[in-house]
Amino acid sequence: MRKARLIARLDVKGPNLIKGIHLEGLRVIGSPNEHAVRYYEQGADELIYMDCVASLYGRNNLSDIVKSAAENVFIPITVGGGVRSVEDATHLLRCGADKVAVNTAAVANPALISEISRRFGSQCMVLSVEAKLVGEKKWEAYTDNGRERTGLDVVEWIKKGVSLGAGEVLLTSVDREGTRKGFDVSLMQAVTREVSVPVIASGGMGEASDLIAVVKEGYADAVAMADILHYKRASMRDIRSVALSADIEVRRYE
Amino acid sequence: MNKQELTVIDYGMGNLLSVKRALEHCGASVIVSSDPAQILSVPRLVLPGVGAFGDAMAELARRELSLVIKEAASRGTLIMGICLGMQMLLDESEEFGQTAGLGLIPGKVVPISTLSSDGNRQKVPHIGWNDLVLPAAKSNWDGTLLQGISPGDAFYFVHSFMASPLHQEHRLADCVYGGVKVSAVVAKDNIIGCQFHPEKSGEVGLKILRRFLTL
Amino acid sequence: MEKRNVVEQYNLPPNVRFCKKCTISNQRPRITFDEQGVCSACNFAEYKRKKVDWKEREAELLELCDKHRKNNGEYDVIVPCSGGKDGSFVAHQLKYKYGMNPLTVTWAPLKATDIGRRNLDAFIASGFDNVLGTPNGKVTRQLTHLAFNYLGDPFQPFIYGQTNFPLHMAVKYKVPLIMYGENGEVEYGGDAKNAFRPDRDIQDHDKHYFSGLPPEFWTEHGISMADLKPFMAPAYEEIMHNNTQIHFFGYYKFWDPQENFYYCTENTGFIPNTERSEGTYSKYASLDDCIDGYHYYLAYIKFGIGRTTSDAAHEIRDGKITREEGIALIKKYDGEFPNKYLNDFLEYCAITQDKFYEVIDSWRSNHLWEKRDGVWHLKHPIWESK
Repeated sequence: MRKARLIARLDVKGPNLIKGIHLEGLRVIGSPNEHAVRYYEQGADELIYMDCVASLYGRNNLSDIVKSAAENVFIPITVGGGVRSVEDATHLLRCGADKVAVNTAAVANPALISEISRRFGSQCMVLSVEAKLVGEKKWEAYTDNGRERTGLDVVEWIKKGVSLGAGEVLLTSVDREGTRKGFDVSLMQAVTREVSVPVIASGGMGEASDLIAVVKEGYADAVAMADILHYKRASMRDIRSVALSADIEVRRYE
Repeated sequence: MNKQELTVIDYGMGNLLSVKRALEHCGASVIVSSDPAQILSVPRLVLPGVGAFGDAMAELARRELSLVIKEAASRGTLIMGICLGMQMLLDESEEFGQTAGLGLIPGKVVPISTLSSDGNRQKVPHIGWNDLVLPAAKSNWDGTLLQGISPGDAFYFVHSFMASPLHQEHRLADCVYGGVKVSAVVAKDNIIGCQFHPEKSGEVGLKILRRFLTL
Repeated sequence: MEKRNVVEQYNLPPNVRFCKKCTISNQRPRITFDEQGVCSACNFAEYKRKKVDWKEREAELLELCDKHRKNNGEYDVIVPCSGGKDGSFVAHQLKYKYGMNPLTVTWAPLKATDIGRRNLDAFIASGFDNVLGTPNGKVTRQLTHLAFNYLGDPFQPFIYGQTNFPLHMAVKYKVPLIMYGENGEVEYGGDAKNAFRPDRDIQDHDKHYFSGLPPEFWTEHGISMADLKPFMAPAYEEIMHNNTQIHFFGYYKFWDPQENFYYCTENTGFIPNTERSEGTYSKYASLDDCIDGYHYYLAYIKFGIGRTTSDAAHEIRDGKITREEGIALIKKYDGEFPNKYLNDFLEYCAITQDKFYEVIDSWRSNHLWEKRDGVWHLKHPIWESK
């Protein structure tokens, strides 16, 4: 049984770490790298940096932040937001990212998934999906930080993305994101049932114990957390011990 | 701590920046280079690698670096291969047919099975944190690269193929995936390989890099 | 249909200029620009940030509350709200921080959205008394139809009613104090004369909100005075006899709509929409009425100022986004046609699609619009300026 990974997610706008609700709001929390270092020291298994407004503003500028992260943080780093080409991916990987996450550009041009995956390996190519509930066990994929509808069924789109070479999926529930109401477990189930690559659950963690359902019943391979860490409502250590107490295999970290 | 001189071999594949940063963080003085003279001038070398075995060996050949590395090895230079870099230390790989490696550690590179030991399907590549265990032939890691590491310490792995050394004494550490022992660290004299990414495994990974700098 | 003289009617400058700091243009009625090309709203925002002693202002609020607090179970302040982030913020602060007993009053949207109704219910459930005033549905539709055709703004009657309803409630419940959120004229670049006072004169609202059309206009079109009464203010003597005062919470507390949004998600059960509103990028502003998209769209036609331009302008002033980011958003979303409720709107106003477009186009001033290859374009969009 693979260990579940505990991932700290940092949404970045310009030089700031921000946190929204339902992917809305730009409240500044502080310095991304200060927080990244703290999460690393507390035992995060990985970090995800998302420039959530890159597509909205038509730009991408995460390289500086990633470069400084790579200076003091020695765990895998995934970077996403505004990745539109193999060149963008190359640049970010050169700046210290281990994986790139792509959403908007992949929907516009699914071949990009294959291009990135062929060049760098599927394990570097993370398909980022924003899922909004639109019916009974039906979710629609959104892009541009939860602002544009795609008409794509989330499960079908993820299957396609994986067949094109995505080696991992970052699945964000637009409905739960920032609400602290727990993960959308049925969303997770619907996806993990269909693909054999790791799926990261994102959106909704209110308490440490929320991870139990999404891992045990949703079969999430990893859990991304933001609000709970940024607002210091729990630490990585607390979260890790909750996982261990629930018999979920996680990395041992003192 | 002395600034140790070290060259990270640049053959166009591998996360050079992360490896360089981590080594510098541990006190090394790092040059990233594909220049044979530079490579042969230092007491320690690191061979990184991410991607396909065949492509990597072809890139080494294109830069005429295979011989240089073998020369360095014969001179007693300490060489650490990381991830694909570790796999390249062996004789050959079965990835996409038969491809010759650097032949510095006897053995070959084989695919990780898509079936676990109890017959269930398992996900490949092997991605994530996994614990190191002592291999059958070893009772402790004293005096080795892994001195100071405890069995059960977790490291970050990302690979679809695994090294299978010919001789048990060259297996320094394993991890278990799908009920099967996977080679995690190999070592033969001055040649060392880590299947995991020490530069991505947090403080325990850095511990290994620091240890490498003192060997 | 005859083309309107927008320039004359709204007293608009013939040349389009944009504020150097935010995204608003000089086409916004009543806005002024200083010699540096900075708009009055931005200057006010600067003043707000740098020159106001908020401790002092809060002291004034405490004094005001002490003066009005009844402590006997009767309401002591009327808070107009829609269930959105602003009114809910004001009500929650007054009740739970300043010990007042607010009666929140809501003027019914023309056509409530699910999210709007949900937020209003959640707000009430979080601990507030609320009165919902719903005017005669048939009359409302007739008024909306007329306003759309003659004023180029279907929302005007709603706005009349919404403005006057708190006055009715204040008089009926014998509550002198009405507390709004922000003074929109002051914060968003309208008439700034009340920038330095906490309140506004009661008789003044006629000038701003009635677009110069007296009640007589409506009676000529088959709407009786009795029909209009709920939309009109109570008798002036009654208002004065009640010692009615209209104050703005934005005078007493630093006003930040995005922070209100966060506050309300934490305190009054507010949730933003999961998709953006048409014509903008925002998910938390003005969510409660299916019809309001047409009000914003017509502002875009008349002034070249769409919903994105306004949303971006105040977020720039509040330091949430940069001007560059605002411009990128405007380019992407401003003027987006509100399709979602078009059929609802046409049905509501009892007009055909052709007539609808005829009216819309009659408000396109030549100083702002031109047709290229059969498509209307703004002559001076912000991304082409400077």
